[in-house]
Amino acid sequence: MTTATEAITEYRSWAVEEFRAEEEPYYVPVSDEIEVFEAAWNSKIPVLLKGPTGCGKTRFVEYMAYHLNRPLAVVRDGKTEIEAETNLPLVTVACHEDLTASDLVGRYLLEGNETVWIDGPLTRAVKAGAICYLDEVVEARKDTTVLIHPLTDHRRILPVEKKSQLLQARDGFLLVISFNPGYQSALKDLKQSTRQRFVAVEFDYPPRETEAEIVQHESGCDYDVALNLAKMAEKIRNLREHGLAEGASTRLLIYAGRMIAEGVAPRRACQVAIVWPLTDDGEVQRSIEEVVSSIFED
Amino acid sequence: MTAQLVEEAREGLRQFPPALAQEFESALEAVQPILEPDELAEWLRDGLEIARHSLRSWEASSEYFRASGPVLEQITYDRMREWCAVGVDLMETSPALSGALFRASPAVLPHLSVPQANDWASQGKSLYKGTWKSGSLSAQYFDVSPQILPHLPLSQMRLLVDLIDSLASHSYELASACLGMAPGVLSQLDRADRAPFLEFGGIVAHTAWVDARVYFERGPGALRQVGEEQRPRFLSLAGQVAMQVGRLGHPYFIESAQAMSEVEKDIHEGLLELAEQLAQHSGDAAMEFLKSSPRVAQRLGIDDIARWQEFGLQILQQSRDGGEAFFRLESARGEEVMEALSSRVDLDRVSELIRMYCKALTGVDVGVKASEELTAKGVGWVDESSPTTEGTTIYLPENVERYPTKEENFSVYKVFATHQAGRLEFGSFEYQSQLDPSLFPSPQNGTQNGHGNGVAPAAVEGQEGEIHTDMELFFDQFEDRRLAHDLFTIVEDTRIDTIVKREYAGVRRAFSRLQQAAIDRRRPVEGMPARQAMVENLLRASLDEIGRIRWPNELAEEMRTPLRILNRIRNDGATVQDSAAATALLYEWLSQIPNVELDSEDWSDFEQEMNADPDGGEDSDMMPGSGSSGLEESFMPFMPGSEERPYDSPDPVDFRGDFKPELVQLLMKLKGETGTGDAPPIPLTKEQLQELLEKSVEISINELMDMDLAESSGMFLDNLLKEVNQIQGERQEGQQAMGDDSTGEDDGAELPVEAASFYYDEWDFRAADYKPRWCRVQEQRGESGTSNYYTETLHEHTQLVQETRKQFEMLRPEMFRKMKRLTDGEDYDLDAVIEWYTEKIAGATSETKLFYRRNKVDRDVAVAFLLDVSASTDEEIQKHHDQRQDDQFDDDPRKYLSWWAQRRAEAARHPGKRIIDLEKEATVLLIEALETIGDKYGVYGFSGYGRDNVEFFVYKDMDEPFGDRIKERIDKIAPVRSTRMGPAIRHCIWKLQNTDAKVKILMLLSDGRPQDHGYGRDRTEKEYAIHDTKMALTEARREGMVPFALTVDRAGHDYLKQMCQDMAYEVVADIESLPRRLPALYRRLTG
Repeated sequence: MTTATEAITEYRSWAVEEFRAEEEPYYVPVSDEIEVFEAAWNSKIPVLLKGPTGCGKTRFVEYMAYHLNRPLAVVRDGKTEIEAETNLPLVTVACHEDLTASDLVGRYLLEGNETVWIDGPLTRAVKAGAICYLDEVVEARKDTTVLIHPLTDHRRILPVEKKSQLLQARDGFLLVISFNPGYQSALKDLKQSTRQRFVAVEFDYPPRETEAEIVQHESGCDYDVALNLAKMAEKIRNLREHGLAEGASTRLLIYAGRMIAEGVAPRRACQVAIVWPLTDDGEVQRSIEEVVSSIFED
Repeated sequence: MTAQLVEEAREGLRQFPPALAQEFESALEAVQPILEPDELAEWLRDGLEIARHSLRSWEASSEYFRASGPVLEQITYDRMREWCAVGVDLMETSPALSGALFRASPAVLPHLSVPQANDWASQGKSLYKGTWKSGSLSAQYFDVSPQILPHLPLSQMRLLVDLIDSLASHSYELASACLGMAPGVLSQLDRADRAPFLEFGGIVAHTAWVDARVYFERGPGALRQVGEEQRPRFLSLAGQVAMQVGRLGHPYFIESAQAMSEVEKDIHEGLLELAEQLAQHSGDAAMEFLKSSPRVAQRLGIDDIARWQEFGLQILQQSRDGGEAFFRLESARGEEVMEALSSRVDLDRVSELIRMYCKALTGVDVGVKASEELTAKGVGWVDESSPTTEGTTIYLPENVERYPTKEENFSVYKVFATHQAGRLEFGSFEYQSQLDPSLFPSPQNGTQNGHGNGVAPAAVEGQEGEIHTDMELFFDQFEDRRLAHDLFTIVEDTRIDTIVKREYAGVRRAFSRLQQAAIDRRRPVEGMPARQAMVENLLRASLDEIGRIRWPNELAEEMRTPLRILNRIRNDGATVQDSAAATALLYEWLSQIPNVELDSEDWSDFEQEMNADPDGGEDSDMMPGSGSSGLEESFMPFMPGSEERPYDSPDPVDFRGDFKPELVQLLMKLKGETGTGDAPPIPLTKEQLQELLEKSVEISINELMDMDLAESSGMFLDNLLKEVNQIQGERQEGQQAMGDDSTGEDDGAELPVEAASFYYDEWDFRAADYKPRWCRVQEQRGESGTSNYYTETLHEHTQLVQETRKQFEMLRPEMFRKMKRLTDGEDYDLDAVIEWYTEKIAGATSETKLFYRRNKVDRDVAVAFLLDVSASTDEEIQKHHDQRQDDQFDDDPRKYLSWWAQRRAEAARHPGKRIIDLEKEATVLLIEALETIGDKYGVYGFSGYGRDNVEFFVYKDMDEPFGDRIKERIDKIAPVRSTRMGPAIRHCIWKLQNTDAKVKILMLLSDGRPQDHGYGRDRTEKEYAIHDTKMALTEARREGMVPFALTVDRAGHDYLKQMCQDMAYEVVADIESLPRRLPALYRRLTG
């Protein structure tokens, strides 16, 4: 995986559109999101993933990419015959506020005496028929919507302005964007004209037991520890909007779980993996630490 | 021969007034039997000599004669001669003194030996300076000596005399008054204190003589407040300090003595020792230290005080002012150190922390407040030291100082909070009568004489629209509500504690510690009547202390069943319904136990196998009346014929605090937050409510006050309704405020808004530290006038308005800025490409920065505009004109002309504008400009008097939309009082902090230097205020804001330079240009 604005050399050395997961990514479905996604992919409707950070959006896309198969001929059922044509490539772009349309589409680069066109990640995904995952899409510049719109309706077309080309997306291509409604300021809301081109899958942190299971699996810690971590996360998430911008993500829980599995004392592990990353506000830190110390004995 | 001599003497005395002769005769009668003839001759001669010595010496002689008799009763004639020689000597100085000496002699002699006479006299003599007043003072000395000497040895008399002498050099009246008071004063003092008292008095007389009288009047009283042994030491310290600080010495003495009275006497010695160390560096610091000691001692033990003092001493050595502020408790560092040393944990320091903690646990917005606040509301809670909750807020004691370390004390808070939060989290107040318990058999079928759990709430509520809380219905089932309530409390607390310990393993240890402590404090069970003992034992069991249950062995079986019932509540999945069911079972059981004296010798520890039997056996075990119905009979043998005793509730358990489920449900119901979630809030008549309250056992009204029930419950009722109305009022207000925001044209009258208070630190540059919470800023909305003013001003400045608007509109296109010559960007920059290509063809290697990027700069500016509305802005600007100098125009005639033309035009229209008028005009113009550009802005004014009354007027708040209301408020901007800039700036910073914007500007417009009452060491000092203001501006900058100071004071350069240093400021010399200048400046600042 890579992002568009990282060093240019990475474009050359990394065939973006060829990235695919080799092992099955671990994902525990919380509800029917898998079925919804499959249906969307089958019917070529782009997907909007909503949810707080670290709740598994990216992992979900990876999981889906692994399980979905590019339809070869007339086969419509993507679930069967996984070995046949391997899974879908996945192009992930982490959007940031300086990400422009040309970062996605591609640009001419000077090389010696000539200019060379380099496809951007989106173009590559369109050509390869991959899933293109634009993470935190509202962060990107508004001109990116110009690209998203024609790609997301029935046309499935990517205009490459600088080359005066239109690219028709290959079968299998699916645009997936993610969006964290709680986290952005009101200025960075997704426009209605954009929103209404997607089916939306809402994510939230999984319920306690599921989350514990995930944490246990990912971190290798005991189930009891994982359950306590999940319980603690539940408590910390109660502080959202009250001193905390975001609750403790599953990802942080996994980090904490790993630290504990490595032998770090639980309270300390939570401090370094959860409390400190979450906030710089001393008071809030103290409160969370009190929650931690209430749940974990040392 | 004797007779002849006497006759001669009589003859000699005849030339004097007859009074002398009379005195002589009576004296003669007294002495004749005592003296030998030759002695008598001598005596006569001496008397005559004295009389003849000078003009008025006959009076002295008369005193001599009068004293002779009594004196001779005490000493021999030879001795007396010796004694009198002293008086005779004194004749040379003043016969009056001599007379006074003789007069005092008989009374003094018991206290003095004859050889001391000289010393005594010479001290008196030293007061005599040859004047009439000094003479009478000196005479007074002899007169009071008899009363003084019993209290003061002659050797120490010198101290008093010096003191009086010193006072006399200023005022004889004062000296004489003090001398007169001296006997009384000395008699009040302990012997050992007298000399030090006089020594300090001497210093007072020296340094602050006017205080001497007060010292004599109040000193002994003040001194008594200091520990007995320490008084001399304290006095000598006070003296040492007074030498340094002069006039302040005495007030320090009185105040610090007063302060010491508030401290335990046994640490006085330690305190003095510490103060003495300080006195070597600064007398002020030493006394301030003592003055602060009561507050410090509240928080710290003496050892920690020493550490605290040591820290302050270090500061003192670096900076006197800093150290003194430290000990005056006016420095943030002082507080910090104290906080760090103290093991006490104060609620206000941790309330936010605990609030968030509880919010995290419960997931609802709970408040955390001091228990006092709840008891003060008078809605049914009375204990101000125990934790409790009324459903929305957790109330905790103000501070905890139970253990020697902060951590341990905090953990006490944590346990308190966790238990209360547990009640909320695990639903203690959510009892619903129609729900069934999960662990217990629903006791519906087991109802006897009306007991049972199955009163259908709907049926009851149907009657006359009455409402009842489910909790109330539940308790209604029981004859003895108190017992039911006690049992429910025990059961429910057991349930909560068990869940808390299971869910929050980390607090288990702290919990157990408090449980242990709670049980250690309990009264012995032995001797309690049976039912009460059983309840007490249940409570002990609920504290996890089966081992501490004491119960007669013979009756073990009777105890076992209730314990088993209680234990069942500990099982996973128990709800408040189970608690209720368990309560019903327990009640059933316990109400069969007569509350009689247990006449058993065999109280023993109660061993139960219950831990091994978590399921508590069969359900049938618990059902009263099934199997063991013969209970009462089996009980009887052990309590033969004893009387039933009244039942007392068990002592409360501190960490569990007050539990008032019935009241909480009632409150929630009244507030419209029905715990049961069924009905909308039903308006309740006062009578219904009163009935409800009177029934509630939790409000044991009779115990609280000596009022009749109706009256006191009526008071509760009023409070309760007030509380509920307040909440509803807030809610309505909130809705209204929201409506305002959305429509912006709500023309309803504004609600009168009380001033909200904010506290801010103030910078003390001498101490190089903040004075904590020093200033109180009272925020209030500006008054409203009419909006005409605004329109008129716009009209008056039509041209200027248009100009400014245009200028501001021009700011907009700047929002997109093309950044060129980037290595990467949106597209090629054609110029750069051509250049690059040419250079390439020419063979030169060139940079490849060929791209451009359009950087969209969102204009995201917020400005807080702070107007000085102090009294000085009332001045007409004419005065400023007179001072005007030509050099402002840099010899530019155009500038001058434009000014002149403008000025003439202005003058023709409006003669005599005041500074405030121009400030207002400038504000109007700026608002007009800001509205064009769409920046967020707030307009505020400040004034005030003194540190606790900084007025902060809001003319337009940051998020308030502009409209007629704002216009009306601007109309009423008017000069008020002083200029304490620091806190106003800090409040503005706070306003800006709560505003979301990339660029934040704080613009301060003033007409002069900051000044206020107490804003500096004294009236004339300017440094302090300037330093504080400077610090406030620096704070703004630290917060990433752009502070900008603007003044119309032509002398502004001196202090603005100091105040702003490297920050931007401007002196608008020509004040009339302010309306034009201000928007221009703003544009420059944000452009």
